[in-house]
Amino acid sequence: MTIRLAGTSWGDSQQSSPASIHVPGFYNSNVAPEHSEVLGLSEEKANSFAESNMAPSQQALAPRFGTTIETVQEILGALVSRYRTDEVLTCVRQIPAREAVFRPMPAWVRGELSEAYRAKGIRKLYSHQAATVELVHKGTNVVVVTPTASGKTLSYNLPVLNAVLENPDTRALYLFPTKALAQDQLAELHDLATRLDDCFGVFTYDGDTPNDARKAIRERGHIVLTNPDMLHTGILPHHTKWMRLFENLRYIVLDELHTYRGVFGSHLANVLRRLRRVARFYGSDPQFICCSATIANPGELAVQLIESEVEVVEENGAPAGEKLFVFYNPPMVNRNLGIRRSYINEATRVAKELLARKLQTIVFANSRLHTEVLLTYLQQANPPKPGQSEPIRGYRGGYLPGERREIERGLREGQIRGVVTTNALELGIDIGSLDACVMAGYAGSIASTWQRAGRAGRRNGTSCAVFVASSAPLDQFIVQHPDYFFGSSPEHAHIQPDNLEILVNHLKCAAFELPLSPDERFGNVELPELCERLVDAGFLQRSGGNWHWVQEGYPADTISLRSVTSDNFVIIDVTGDDDGEPEVIGEVDFSSALTTVHPKAIYIHQGQQYHVERLDFGQRKAYVKRVNVDYFTDAIRYTQVRVLEIAEEQSIPGPAARAHGDVLVRSQLVGFKKIKFFTNENVGSGKLELPENEMHTTAFWVTLGHELLAGLPFTLSERQNGTFGLLYALGSMATLLLMCDRRDLGTAVGERPPSAGTGVEWHEFATAADTEKEFFEPNLYLYDAYPGGIGFSEPLYRVCHVLLTRARELIAACSCANGCPSCVGPASDTSERSKEVALAILGYLCSAESGGAPNKAIGYSN
Amino acid sequence: MGSTTTDRFARLKALQPPRTLFSSGPESKAARTGVEEESLGSASSIAIGAERLALILGASVKRNLHGEHLSLHCWHGGHAPCAPDGAALRLLAPDAPEDVADIQQWLFLDTETTGLAGGTGTYPFLVGLAWWEGGGLEVQQLFMREYSEERSLLAALAERLAERPVLVTFNGKSFDWPLLETRYRMTRTAPPLLRAHLDFLHPARNLWRLRLGSVRLSQLERHVLGWDRGADVVSELIPRIYLDFVRSGRADPLVPVFQHNQMDLRGLAGLAGRILALLGDEGAPSEDGLEVYGVSRICERRGEVKRARKLYEQSLVSALPFETDRAARTALARLAKRDGDLARARELWESTMGNSKEGYEAYEQLAIYYEHEAREPRQALAIAREALAQLRRATQGGTIAASAYRRTNARFQHRLLRLERKAGRTLLDALDA
Repeated sequence: MTIRLAGTSWGDSQQSSPASIHVPGFYNSNVAPEHSEVLGLSEEKANSFAESNMAPSQQALAPRFGTTIETVQEILGALVSRYRTDEVLTCVRQIPAREAVFRPMPAWVRGELSEAYRAKGIRKLYSHQAATVELVHKGTNVVVVTPTASGKTLSYNLPVLNAVLENPDTRALYLFPTKALAQDQLAELHDLATRLDDCFGVFTYDGDTPNDARKAIRERGHIVLTNPDMLHTGILPHHTKWMRLFENLRYIVLDELHTYRGVFGSHLANVLRRLRRVARFYGSDPQFICCSATIANPGELAVQLIESEVEVVEENGAPAGEKLFVFYNPPMVNRNLGIRRSYINEATRVAKELLARKLQTIVFANSRLHTEVLLTYLQQANPPKPGQSEPIRGYRGGYLPGERREIERGLREGQIRGVVTTNALELGIDIGSLDACVMAGYAGSIASTWQRAGRAGRRNGTSCAVFVASSAPLDQFIVQHPDYFFGSSPEHAHIQPDNLEILVNHLKCAAFELPLSPDERFGNVELPELCERLVDAGFLQRSGGNWHWVQEGYPADTISLRSVTSDNFVIIDVTGDDDGEPEVIGEVDFSSALTTVHPKAIYIHQGQQYHVERLDFGQRKAYVKRVNVDYFTDAIRYTQVRVLEIAEEQSIPGPAARAHGDVLVRSQLVGFKKIKFFTNENVGSGKLELPENEMHTTAFWVTLGHELLAGLPFTLSERQNGTFGLLYALGSMATLLLMCDRRDLGTAVGERPPSAGTGVEWHEFATAADTEKEFFEPNLYLYDAYPGGIGFSEPLYRVCHVLLTRARELIAACSCANGCPSCVGPASDTSERSKEVALAILGYLCSAESGGAPNKAIGYSN
Repeated sequence: MGSTTTDRFARLKALQPPRTLFSSGPESKAARTGVEEESLGSASSIAIGAERLALILGASVKRNLHGEHLSLHCWHGGHAPCAPDGAALRLLAPDAPEDVADIQQWLFLDTETTGLAGGTGTYPFLVGLAWWEGGGLEVQQLFMREYSEERSLLAALAERLAERPVLVTFNGKSFDWPLLETRYRMTRTAPPLLRAHLDFLHPARNLWRLRLGSVRLSQLERHVLGWDRGADVVSELIPRIYLDFVRSGRADPLVPVFQHNQMDLRGLAGLAGRILALLGDEGAPSEDGLEVYGVSRICERRGEVKRARKLYEQSLVSALPFETDRAARTALARLAKRDGDLARARELWESTMGNSKEGYEAYEQLAIYYEHEAREPRQALAIAREALAQLRRATQGGTIAASAYRRTNARFQHRLLRLERKAGRTLLDALDA
């Protein structure tokens, strides 16, 4: 079968809207929309297009294999040759090349600085750069929203360096979400420093900085590049050593702003409160320059993080290359069960086709496990040539730094032809520009998807990004609603800086840094009351009017910004046992440790399987042995929720009610499944005895009225399973609206207590199901999977109607017969009629536009 | 917020009282028996505790522009001031000005703090100062009864340092002084300027670590000065005792802390005298070869090679422990070679060959010597072969680390190859002749 791509003028840069590719006989859901917003997304990264920002040496090193339209034709043809194309390729969209919009270099830029940029090939600024630097120059806080590699670093380097040249005392602090990104920025700044006769000092300051270098950095670093964690544990608690920096701190740069959401963002907001507090102590009031990927509320997020006014620059003047975006939905193999071909296998096929045509390809998977599985498959298909190194490599968090640097270099220089990665390579680590990108599964947010797709982008020829949908509901929603994806961003980043658990922890750090005074502000809380609490608990003591830290310990050390606890689990290979020395092969963070290295789990590292022999919880060590088995493991979790306090509740059609408030969640890993490679059969299971985890958090929930359920023409167990199916769909759509990871949001079903409040017994669903007892009025919970809540519940409460409507669209659009993992969960886990029941319930819930009257509301504020 | 707020606070993990490391230990139980439990905790009980402390110790309240603090003076006999000579001071502080020798300017300092990790939330609650006076040691201790008295305490310290700007400490360069500098900055005042800072930790390490293993001040007192402290508070407990006092007013457990601080100051003064005597020009006749060896090392590090060589020789005369002896010989050989005294160097190398870092250095130096100085390549070859045989035995016997073996082996293999080529050529030359 030959596929003719037609209907658009290739490479016509005047064409401003993305064009559809009409493939005869293809399912054509992609009529080009006239949305101008599309533009904001379409020019996503094309590293080599920003040629002026790239060192010539790098250009020379990058291998030159351009994708051509013919190649893409061939590949698409090969991919669909076995299937009904309309079902498989749901969208093939061409995003045309785009020309740059230039502005002249501002007149206030000092001669030597504009000369240095000119020597790098930059004579003019892109329009968004110009707008940003003008605002910074005027002293305004600014957030610039641009795709990666659109020259955003210039937006902050230019005004900062200009200020340093004007006054050599000026200091700036750059924050990057990861150590690796800071390292990456260092190279660019070093280059500029060389061109400016080393008149300014720039250093990274992180856990790897040698002790003897630290003093020099504190004194001589005009620009210090670091990460929030190091600021939190290494800089703020020792601010007197950084006196010169803080006394002269004029700029703070927050790059990759959109990554500071959820728990991490809520922590960062508090770290910034501490930072501003320390800066005030030294008499400085720094200005913020933020950069964000495209999200719906960059300004709002920035305001929440820095707690002052921010101007948003959203135009984009950077050029971009032509890109083909392909949505690939693995074909159905069993319509009754809604089973599609494994998306991992399909993604492997796509990647093989691309690699076979010598296209340097990056493959993204959403879990470490899938990275390793994909890596195994692709390495088997692309063995190294004799005497050469492995052409396909893996790259993810658990790898050691040296290994990572080597892989980055290999990609830039072209010896590595393919890389399989997690989101570790999503952000701006410099790996050059690749030809093609394959995404095995939805990245979780539209912003991340564009960032991943932006990893492919050549100057000559077209780049290509293929999204291979898994059967997860979110994936299916996106793959079947391309307009939702290509339209304006619906994604909001949420944070909750006043989460008490987080805030109190940072308040302790703040007291350690400087005594707290009663007239200070720290977030939206009654400071004196909270301080007295800390006195009672033995952390603070009031003396001379102020509260002082009265503990020996170091509060920042025990508080991690990224997860509940700061310690990682170390993976130790004990295969050799007697003769060989135990070797540390990697690390997993605390939150994923239980699911990946529980006893008897199969842990996969660089394609090698390891059996977990023992998990030493206290020492944070997992002992593993190399094995070769044909399965992997998947952990099973058991969860109960109890409502502690209702913040708001309102009845909605159904009859039903929506609510949000505080809850207690208990969960436990009770076992695991063994799943066979390739076929994904369940080939066994095991029990686990691990400690129960208890957490206070916030939740949003929908209560289904008794009349609603009782009135449905289904059996008891069908109704029950339908309720679970509905929750499954709600959970999926909620992550879409919240721009959060599926792990950030827990789901559970429980009985609505006779009266809300504490001290009420709640029923365990497992018992209820066994005894065929139905919930009288079930609560469908979506809870924040972080102690204290992270700000998802209230937004969900507000958009309840949208959530229900989207869930209904998802289930209705699903082509399975009786429910599948893409809509209400696999039919085998629920029942034959879950889908029907869920749709029936949603029919009632979405039936009328208006909400009902407030009902038992506490603090109702609408 | 009301009652719901209370509930919310009650379940915050961040508000759970911290786990205490020592609270159940026997020391702290003993330390807590001073005051009746029921009177503790209130603001007045803290004030009463502070008064009680002043009474037991005989301390007085001092007032200055910045507020009040407690000050305690006492005098300890039997501390003869030392008269440091120029040579000793050059070794200790090569960059210090000439008048550092004027002990009228010296101020011994030792602090007790609310934590050992440092950082801006660690406070020095007790600053002990001392100087030689009237044939003994005059001690002044500055104490903050609560956190707000810190400024007044720091001001008093600044005054004292203005009179005596040469700071003398034990580990003060990396702990006490940076901490105090932090405190001055925290109160937005400039840290006092020091004329010089003599820290005796490093010389003490050079002199006694080999013999004692650790160089804690109390250890040095016992083994070097022959003093016995008697009962002393465990220094790790000190922060807790003070924090207990600020929270509850329990004053009695602080008394041993004051005594501990005084003992540290006396120990520091005694040790300073001993170290200065050892480092002095006279060479402080010491019977302890290890001490002599220590002085040699300090001299060598400061570039006083002549004196270093003399003292190394002297240390070798006494019966040094085997490893120290080997280290002394190696260092001495290096110095002798530098002086061109190859005969002595050869002797030393020959006596240190063996399976050790120094031993392999000796083989190598000898090989170099025979090759380039004595011009006996065959002898050099023999030495290299011997070294390789030694290495083989060591790796078979497992008495050398794998990486050290690989490195050393490669070095000697390389040398062997070159020597073999060279020796071969010399043979041919001989045949030609």
